[in-house]
Amino acid sequence: MPATRGIGYPWRVPDFCARRELLPVLGLGVSTEYGASLAAGALDPAALRRARPDFGGFLEVGVEIAKGLDAPATAWASAGWPTTYHFLDINLDEPEDLEREWLAGVRACIATLKPAWLCGDAGLWHFGGRDRGQMLLLPPVLIAESVAPMAEGIRALREATGLEVLPENPPGSAFVGDLHLLEFFARVAEAADTGLLLDCAHLAMYQRLQGHAPLDGLDDFPWDRVIELHVAGGRERSDGGFHWIEDEHGVELLPDTWAIARLALQRASQLRAVVVECERNPLPAVLPLFERVAAALPARLRPVPGDSQPGGAQA
Amino acid sequence: MNPRAIQQAIVRMMIDPAFVAAVHGRRPVPGLAEDERALLRAVDRRAFTTDRFRRARAVQALVEEYPVSAAAIGLTAVDSFLSAPEFAACITGRGSMALAFGTWLKDQASGIGVIEAAMARLRRSPIPEASPGALICGPRFAPLIVPDGTLAWYEATRAWLGDHALQRIAEDGQRPGLPRRGLTRRQGEEFILLEARADGGMDLGTASEALVRLLRFAAQPRSRRALEAEAVTRGAEPHEAAEVLDDLLAGGLLLAI
Repeated sequence: MPATRGIGYPWRVPDFCARRELLPVLGLGVSTEYGASLAAGALDPAALRRARPDFGGFLEVGVEIAKGLDAPATAWASAGWPTTYHFLDINLDEPEDLEREWLAGVRACIATLKPAWLCGDAGLWHFGGRDRGQMLLLPPVLIAESVAPMAEGIRALREATGLEVLPENPPGSAFVGDLHLLEFFARVAEAADTGLLLDCAHLAMYQRLQGHAPLDGLDDFPWDRVIELHVAGGRERSDGGFHWIEDEHGVELLPDTWAIARLALQRASQLRAVVVECERNPLPAVLPLFERVAAALPARLRPVPGDSQPGGAQA
Repeated sequence: MNPRAIQQAIVRMMIDPAFVAAVHGRRPVPGLAEDERALLRAVDRRAFTTDRFRRARAVQALVEEYPVSAAAIGLTAVDSFLSAPEFAACITGRGSMALAFGTWLKDQASGIGVIEAAMARLRRSPIPEASPGALICGPRFAPLIVPDGTLAWYEATRAWLGDHALQRIAEDGQRPGLPRRGLTRRQGEEFILLEARADGGMDLGTASEALVRLLRFAAQPRSRRALEAEAVTRGAEPHEAAEVLDDLLAGGLLLAI
């Protein structure tokens, strides 16, 4: 078995190819964050699961430690239903961000949620320190020098939590750097020896902004590291002659996003989970999108909720 | 290239149009090497300002923490902080925007700024580092000295602002009449004790000059003997000093660290 020595580990750590066999298949799921499902007209994840268990296979819980977990997320976890933990407040490339108090909060949320893994946009979640009024989300600077600090942060968080940490390509309207986004994340995954979360809508934004075709760069992407996909609707925006895509999490997929998602579903041989991000839309409005995505899922990604098994085996 | 320096510059470009102009200008930009700057210049500058309300949200966050100071100095002045070196230092130094704003305020909002900056510090009060045998002012308390009339102006302005401070200031502008320090240092001072409650709220009230000065002396870790001597200097009888300190410890106004 290939092996590597992790940062701070006194023992040899299996490489990601071995570790991913322990990751459960979660199938198709939905995302939320603090208070999202409590807003008027928003999606109630539990209602989705009751109505369509095959669409609400798991809940991806967006967590900002300063806010904690809301009641619907806690209730979902209390029911023993599967979750993943999506961080919303860690600059992975800043070692100082792994503050003791923050980590204690993360561990407490993990104890409640029992997530299959951690994941989240590998970008800038706050400027300055982690404080009120300083939260945002920007993509990483896409240069070779950014890779090692990001990879170190992923390893450190993995070591601190004992869970896999899947970096996600963030959204943005300004991407700075000379590396293609996909090459950057391929390098990060290699350096951190980790899996990846590919957000198809975010990638579509990047490709459009950079003047690339939707599928540019995907031939060389390390598909065997892709564990999770995100699919969401976006909105084309224009201001003063500048055009970009807003990460709206609506129910209408842009054709670019769907083209990327279809290719990813075909090529990501180790895929465990697909999230449809649509948390601020009512249940009837989101069902057609879930049906569309579900129809494109490979058969091995259609588990019966509650029967998910490590390594992709189905009960 | 230093990715963190570039990332911090991106944040400034998204908030401060003047900094965008500087990046695209002819003069060197402190903290940015030319190759780093070239990467930023390679991106359409309009890409950094797609979120038109980012700066306004930052102003809103500041007004939420400093509502009465904002009423005293006006929104244009609050907004100008986001182009100030103190804000840039907050970004590059992992700082707190609210604390940096308090530093930037200096005397612009007189004693009101002193009070609200102290509130901002108490909301973020770190646990004091251990120093065996030492006593320090309790982390839930801030002893303040402000110009006479500050507390009354603060309370009146809070009432004037109501529940929508930003809207009130935007509609009505600055509120005049801010008390300022007199010509002599001791002219008309007010001694205030600020306490952060467990529920996140703040209690503000006048206190004796002796207590405020004793607690300010305890802003740094002090030996019990030094604090007893300070209590005597501030008017306590020598035989009472130990009891005074015990009472302050029992009330959380002093903390053994």
